[in-house]
Amino acid sequence: MSGVILNSVYKNYGDVEVIHGIDLEIKEGEFCVFVGPSGCGKSTLLRMIAGLEETTSGTIHIGQRDVTNVDPADRGIAMVFQTYALYPHMTVEQNLGFGLKMNKVPKSEISEKVRNAADILRLTDYMHRKPKALSGGQRQRVAIGRAIVRGPEVFLFDEPLSNLDAELRVEMRVEIARLHNEMDVTMIYVTHDQVEAMTLADKIVVLRDGIVEQTGAPMELYNNPANKFVAGFIGSPSMNFLDGTIKEGGVQIGPLGDTVYNTSATLPEDGTKVIVGLRPQDLSIEPGESELITELSEKLGGVTYDYLLTPTQEKIVVETKGEGAIAPKTKVKLLFEDQSIYLFDRTTEARIY
Amino acid sequence: MVEQVATLPSSREFNPWPVVVFTCLLVLAGLFLAPTIGVILSSIKTTREIAEGGLWNIPTRLFLGNFVEVLANPAVHRYFLNTLLVTLPATAASIALGVLAGYVFAKLPFWGSNLIFLVLISGMFFPPQVILIPLFQFFNSLGLIDTLWPIIFIHTALGIPICTLLMRNFFATVPNSLREAAILEGANEFQVLTRVALPLSLPALAVLATLQFTWIWNDFLWPLIFTQSDEKRTIMVGIVNLKGQYSVAWGVQGALSLVASLPTLIVFLFFQRYFIKGMTMGAVKG
Repeated sequence: MSGVILNSVYKNYGDVEVIHGIDLEIKEGEFCVFVGPSGCGKSTLLRMIAGLEETTSGTIHIGQRDVTNVDPADRGIAMVFQTYALYPHMTVEQNLGFGLKMNKVPKSEISEKVRNAADILRLTDYMHRKPKALSGGQRQRVAIGRAIVRGPEVFLFDEPLSNLDAELRVEMRVEIARLHNEMDVTMIYVTHDQVEAMTLADKIVVLRDGIVEQTGAPMELYNNPANKFVAGFIGSPSMNFLDGTIKEGGVQIGPLGDTVYNTSATLPEDGTKVIVGLRPQDLSIEPGESELITELSEKLGGVTYDYLLTPTQEKIVVETKGEGAIAPKTKVKLLFEDQSIYLFDRTTEARIY
Repeated sequence: MVEQVATLPSSREFNPWPVVVFTCLLVLAGLFLAPTIGVILSSIKTTREIAEGGLWNIPTRLFLGNFVEVLANPAVHRYFLNTLLVTLPATAASIALGVLAGYVFAKLPFWGSNLIFLVLISGMFFPPQVILIPLFQFFNSLGLIDTLWPIIFIHTALGIPICTLLMRNFFATVPNSLREAAILEGANEFQVLTRVALPLSLPALAVLATLQFTWIWNDFLWPLIFTQSDEKRTIMVGIVNLKGQYSVAWGVQGALSLVASLPTLIVFLFFQRYFIKGMTMGAVKG
């Protein structure tokens, strides 16, 4: 069991730089999730740790060893692929034992380890089936089992749940969390789904365009996003962003009229334009004279998302508990506490407050 | 009780197309089968019967003397052995080389590999007549005329383009993640090929084995050019040799032709299941 340390890691494809110098420390036993929109470089980074992509410059350490130029098989890692990558012509048992066989492990030891992994993942009844005869969830479990059997120092998961249907995805998510608790081993997990990131991670690494935007525990990122991108990416539904202006030590939010919302922070000088962030969970609405109109509401059972339209055609999402009783096309007042406001710089998008 | 509803529409227009298509297919099948039927008919008749009634005459009795004569002839045994000695190694070698080259082109491309691939494939379009004389001179200078070696080498070389093309295309359908998974698990490139890629490519191998075996077994040109003595002839040249000095032994030749086509038939039947899978691969989702 070991941690992983990336030291100013770069990746170029020809002249194009896709990973722009990433420094990262993943502690022993930590569940670290790389999250970001598609094309942000999260999978590339994972594949660099795996050794499937060459590292252009910088170093990668697993435990005490510098593995930057070490063969994938000798890095002490095991990887679960998005497509499972099970060998179609082998049975579940052969799939699980393939890696050990390649490493010339004695047969008796292979069958013992395979049996153990199968027990952990409840695959014992399917040992003689081929992948074709398994369901999506079972295939995914075989793929995870194949990683377990090798007893790696670090587990790598490349969007492992994205091929599963919604119900199975939740089930497997719980399974992976359970596995991490039981095995207490370092795991690095790539996903574009921020719900997976929030629920699984000890540490989330938010990536955009080959740069780490922010690193931290899930709730830390949720409560203290470093910039507008992280604030918008973490949390579901996404944070609402509105234009605002600094005024008399507070902020006036454009579409919400003349009210000045006071914050306890030190703010830039009056007249500075800023971006105001409001989490849907911090908002509530009530019918009343205002410029805001409810456009539609999505009832999810426990919660309701109300979509409001400002006079400038901006959308605001409000999350309320229970069934929202406000009909569409109603004028509503938006209510929130001054403390729930986030402020971002207009140009750098860095967080001000 | 629910009333049965008539399933046939009351007025149905006559569609002539199926009939036309069926007739065409029937005629074509007849045309294709005719030579085989002719050979079978002549093989079960005596030379005298053939001389009297012609090739297409239906014999009144089954005469197996031609087959007995052919199978008892030591020269025929020699032809068979020679053909096997050419066909088996050349088929194996061309497929093996095609597998290796195809794997590299599909899974380990390098700068310029596509161009090399195209050059290699263009080898398929050379008519053999163009390279016949240079090759004869070449093998002559090596002192290999009237041995089986030139035929083995030439068939191996001529088979490489088609083998490489087919294997490359088949390997390209094997997902990259399988290779990566195997490499992560400690397999080297050769093990990825033999343990993962090849077992998944059995249909392609079956197609190639059938095609190459049939093609090399049935070849007439190269053995005719490179062998001279009767001890080195292969079966197709041997059929011609059996024709007799003054008269044409139709019956014996027909019998040998049938016997000579058996191995290709056996190979086809053996690989048939995979062969059809291979021919339709990509057509339907596996």
